[in-house]
Amino acid sequence: MDRQATKQAGIRAVELLAMPIALILLPMVLPGYLQANEVVIYAIAVLGSALLFGYTGLMSFGQGAFYGMGAYGCGWVGTALGGSLPEMLLAGAALGTLSALIVGYFSIRQRGVYFVMLTLAFAQLFYFLAYSFRGLTGGDNGMTDIPRPPLSIGNLRFLNLDSPAAFYTFCAILFLLAYLAVRRIVQSPFGTTLIAIRENENRARAIGNEVMLFKLAAFAFSGFLTGLAGALHASFLGIASLTGIDLDMSQTILAMTIIGGGTLGGSLAGPLFYIVLSSWLSTIWPRWPMLIGFILIAIGLYCPDGLWEGLRSALRKAMRMGGARHVSN
Amino acid sequence: MNLYLLQIMNGVGIGMLYFLIAVGLSVIFGLLRFVNFAHGAFFMMGAYLAYTVSVSFNWGFWAALLVVPPVTFLLAILLEQTLLRHAYHLPHTAQILLTFGLSMVLQELAIVIWGTDGLHMPTPGALAGVVQWGSFIYPKYRLFVTGFTAVLAALLWWLLEGTRLGSLVRAGSEYGDMMALLGYDTRKVFMYVFGLGVALAALSGALAAPLRGVEPFMGLTGLGIAFVVVVIGGMGSFPGALIGGLLVGILQSVLSSAWPEMAQPVIYICMAVILIARPHGLMGRG
Repeated sequence: MDRQATKQAGIRAVELLAMPIALILLPMVLPGYLQANEVVIYAIAVLGSALLFGYTGLMSFGQGAFYGMGAYGCGWVGTALGGSLPEMLLAGAALGTLSALIVGYFSIRQRGVYFVMLTLAFAQLFYFLAYSFRGLTGGDNGMTDIPRPPLSIGNLRFLNLDSPAAFYTFCAILFLLAYLAVRRIVQSPFGTTLIAIRENENRARAIGNEVMLFKLAAFAFSGFLTGLAGALHASFLGIASLTGIDLDMSQTILAMTIIGGGTLGGSLAGPLFYIVLSSWLSTIWPRWPMLIGFILIAIGLYCPDGLWEGLRSALRKAMRMGGARHVSN
Repeated sequence: MNLYLLQIMNGVGIGMLYFLIAVGLSVIFGLLRFVNFAHGAFFMMGAYLAYTVSVSFNWGFWAALLVVPPVTFLLAILLEQTLLRHAYHLPHTAQILLTFGLSMVLQELAIVIWGTDGLHMPTPGALAGVVQWGSFIYPKYRLFVTGFTAVLAALLWWLLEGTRLGSLVRAGSEYGDMMALLGYDTRKVFMYVFGLGVALAALSGALAAPLRGVEPFMGLTGLGIAFVVVVIGGMGSFPGALIGGLLVGILQSVLSSAWPEMAQPVIYICMAVILIARPHGLMGRG
């Protein structure tokens, strides 16, 4: 094996090991399993959002709708049908996929800022459906008593999820699987095409890609993961409510994605930063989301090509300046 | 029958308020290809300012109508000069981040000042009560809103079609670069149009306050509605914003008696249909 290949294999091993280590350390660093749970559940949703925003270049304000539909789907199967945990989660993921396909189908007809407006508007459709059909969703009060059954298939019981530690383990494994799946997706020819669409949509179309189908598929994957996250959250809290489907949720997921730089590794870092900041600040400054607003303004102004690109060029600049001083000394 | 007539009249009034929110967003987009995601926050700010002036200061509703537009106009120009003008050359995702961040900041600011609970804004005394024609009765305030916004829409139409500023705006949205080459200060035109658009959204908030109350999350709701209106009517089109606003308002009002669950969702379904049938909106070019 030549040197280059060894180095690449080394980098890949580090990349693959970093995530499990981070997931093991997470509950030790955070004050408890409850927060660690929030972080990994949001991280699954952010993975879905990063696939759309970071890799396909589609900024979607519809993520909250997929998340909320996932929560309601999980709730319906868990309470009315008495389904098992895998069934509840699959129902959530399926409804997330369906709502993402609907939002995606209409929104991808336009590009640029027009597209973003459409995702926001169609996300409101799902909010108002949930708000208006109280019989199904519980309206303002939400759906309560969503169970968290043990993980079992048929009569085989694998894991009791009552304790926060057990549920964290379960969610962390799901996140890791989702992370590996999305990693595989973005490294496949399919993912390369998504990146091509982000970089130059016209060219991607011109070389014969069915751009619309690729975008729709990206929405479907994104909706699946976001719906799964919503379902996990509903089972975790025991409730599914309007706060899970409103624009604030879309805004939260998108802000986490952007703070994570729209990258796969950032999918854990973004929610971690956001949740640690919120729990740290919410006691001393209840209006802390204002700070998130300022962070978004700053990223927009100073890192218009994304957070990592901005940090990288700032670092380059700093190193050049450091280098210059070195030379003058 | 009277019920539906009543709902259509309500719908026209609400639709005109939607038009006022959406028209600024639409005309600014026509000029700059810039979409201000903080536009809804100004709708909210208008409602809160009106509440403060008329209830907290006890100056009355008419003072609020006089104070809100100029104050928000100046605030908008200040923001445009210090912050937003740096965003015009940025990629659209950065513009959205910037303006959406601004919208979060304004929303939190409103909560810091006025709290999260909804506030009730009373109908002005002279417009309380109803008017009656035969068996038909209608609230005076709603009648006033319809009349006032109709006059305002006519004035705006004249401003865009009959004045020098209007011809600069229309020329700017067709051939912005050419105008700059001819020596017009397009930045100044942008600045005034931006201020005007924001002031109209704020005025809409002030007029809507006695009808719907005032709460910090009305900004996001207003933003969502404005997007639907411009998508239906066509981005960048003044008549489009008017027709879109009226259509959305009337649909919502009529369905709120016929099929209340669908009163809100239907406007998004209407938007979806228009996107398929006329991708550039009812009055859009393209």
